[in-house]
Amino acid sequence: MTQKNLCVDIGGVELKNPVMTASGTFGYGQEFDGLIDLDRLGGIIVKGLSLLPSSGNPPPRIIETPCGMLNAIGLENVGIQAFINEKLPFLNQFSTPVFVNIYGKTVEEYADLASQIDSVADIAGIEVNISCPNVKAGGVAFGVDRRAAADVITRVRRKTTKPIMVKLSPNVTDIVAIAKSVESAGADSISLINTITAMAIDIETRKPVLANITGGLSGPAIKPVALRMVWQVAREVKIPVIGIGGIMNAEDAIAFLIAGASAVQVGTANFINPRATIDILEGIESFMNKNKIDDIAELIGSLKI
Amino acid sequence: MKSAATKHQEIADIIWNKEEKPGCFRIGLTCSKDYANAIPGQFITLHIPGNLSPLLRRPFSIHRLIKKSGRVIGIELLYKVVGGFTEKLARINAGDQLDLIGPIGKGFTISNTTRKVAFVAGGIGVAPLIFLADAMVETDINLSDSIVFLGGRTSDDILCASVFTSFALDVHTTTDDGSLGEKGIVTQPLEKWLASNRPDIIYACGPMPMLRAVADIAKKNSLPCEVSIETIMACGIGACLGCAVNKNKQTDTYQHVCIDGPVFDASVMKNYLWS
Ligand SMILES: Cc1cc2nc3c(=O)[nH]c(=O)nc-3n(C[C@H](O)[C@H](O)[C@H](O)COP(=O)(O)OP(=O)(O)OC[C@H]3O[C@@H](n4cnc5c(N)ncnc54)[C@H](O)[C@@H]3O)c2cc1C
Ligand SMILES: Cc1cc2nc3c(=O)[nH]c(=O)nc-3n(C[C@H](O)[C@H](O)[C@H](O)COP(=O)(O)O)c2cc1C
Ligand code: FES
Repeated sequence: MTQKNLCVDIGGVELKNPVMTASGTFGYGQEFDGLIDLDRLGGIIVKGLSLLPSSGNPPPRIIETPCGMLNAIGLENVGIQAFINEKLPFLNQFSTPVFVNIYGKTVEEYADLASQIDSVADIAGIEVNISCPNVKAGGVAFGVDRRAAADVITRVRRKTTKPIMVKLSPNVTDIVAIAKSVESAGADSISLINTITAMAIDIETRKPVLANITGGLSGPAIKPVALRMVWQVAREVKIPVIGIGGIMNAEDAIAFLIAGASAVQVGTANFINPRATIDILEGIESFMNKNKIDDIAELIGSLKI
Repeated sequence: MKSAATKHQEIADIIWNKEEKPGCFRIGLTCSKDYANAIPGQFITLHIPGNLSPLLRRPFSIHRLIKKSGRVIGIELLYKVVGGFTEKLARINAGDQLDLIGPIGKGFTISNTTRKVAFVAGGIGVAPLIFLADAMVETDINLSDSIVFLGGRTSDDILCASVFTSFALDVHTTTDDGSLGEKGIVTQPLEKWLASNRPDIIYACGPMPMLRAVADIAKKNSLPCEVSIETIMACGIGACLGCAVNKNKQTDTYQHVCIDGPVFDASVMKNYLWS
């Protein structure tokens, strides 16, 4: 058996394999200590962080739906400084690159977060979550407006030399337009998709199940939508694309690679099987063996139409 | 005090899975020897391998340890069929396998100085209290002055009464329909008993309205009280933050049932429990 090459470059960061964890589904990493070997992961993306600690939304925050789940965690997090001081040292024991997922309520908050991260050597890159509401623009998400999205990335770009991955919201009419816009604003890579805005209703009480009324749908239910969007974006941008959405096993991950993703992020699957990332990695390896593929690059964007 | 076991994932073999009362089963599964250090009140999560409907793992309290010649070889769970997952679980047979993660969470505190305890269980909530009673008996705590209150809607919801009586515990039963024991709710005999008794602690597990009532009674009588709380969970390991309860207004933080609980000191949960 020849040595397989699973290395991928995702815009200035070299990953030893294309399997990463999705933000908000892997905590700060330590939660999975003892359950998996974090050294085997291609990359770790931690829970979304804000400038200050945030307590998140009132409960109930989650509910299972057919082939998926809704969440309205509301970005509960310890804040960027507590993350750097208290959570990052644990992650640094491993060789796996750590990406910090950030979100702000204003462009200034994003810029501030980027400058605080810029000087931290142990952070490999920044994933900018633009799916959150822009307070100054009346609560409309940055990620649904081409100009607002570009504005955030331009400002973040000015504050940091670290690779910037921009995480797109699927709740838009034209995902390609947003992707191109953040690409020209200086993004090094694009990850998609974030959750799809959704809701559930308790018909007995006639109340929404989630306290927040709406939540984000994730899991196998969103995979076909995610795959379509990854394919659309990957053929239109030059920077690497990272596929996210309902990836449960190696077959799912390989489909995203074929659609044009250079790497994948595994989200909800971590809840069902904490070993999901490792099983996916091993499944990709055996697929490559079976199909005599020596380099993962042969798979990426290999869709035949 | 033994040190807590660290959570881990394993494939468990089903030793038995039998219906105890209509819709209520006990399932025995093999587990690693680490469960010898599990603490009463801790829970596990299950996934039926290859089965993605329902999608998420489901949490269950450890009901008892299964021992063979003094060594822990498995755990027993007591569960009620309420929906998709538990329906599938009920159809699993001895020899089948389950994906098991545990032991998880914070359990009940057992103090060596405890002499007198009131156990209060609503329906399936009795599950962790048997493990607790087992552990207390094992640490030579004499339970003969202690008491058990079991409540349920009907006689079918009254479980494990004979296990408690085998520990020489006095068992009081209430049902909503009067089909077994006293007709009424479980907190009625508890309050009556407290009029002339003072336990060192009240341990409670059951539906939220019952836990609220028990916590109120404990507060009124200035008694320590520990409750096991249930929420819907996505991960069970502190990663999703979906199981938040009880916001502390001073610190502006939530508790997370899977890591900070499921067992809580009732006074810590005052915003959540006390009326
Ligand atoms: C720490 C902990 C320990 C538990 N221990 C036991 C136990 O020992 N024995 C037992 O039978 N059950 C226990 N439960 C509850 C058990 O997890 C649920 O009954 C189970 O998840 C239901 O799954 P289902 O697919 O069969 O039903 P679903 O279709 O998911 O749900 C059926 C109904 O139960 C409610 N429900 C679902 N999950 C939960 C939950 N986690 N907590 C409260 N209500 C829920 C739903 O809102 C719905 O109304 C425990 C829960 C927790 C959090
Ligand atoms: C409980 C939960 C919390 C999440 N938190 C975040 C977050 O903090 N930041 C973010 O960018 N995405 C967050 N996401 C979105 C995921 O990273 C991912 O984009 C989405 O769940 C789709 O992937 P999946 O179907 O594999 O879960 C969260 C998802 C879930 C289920
Ligand atoms: S269930 Fe995920 S954090 Fe508690």
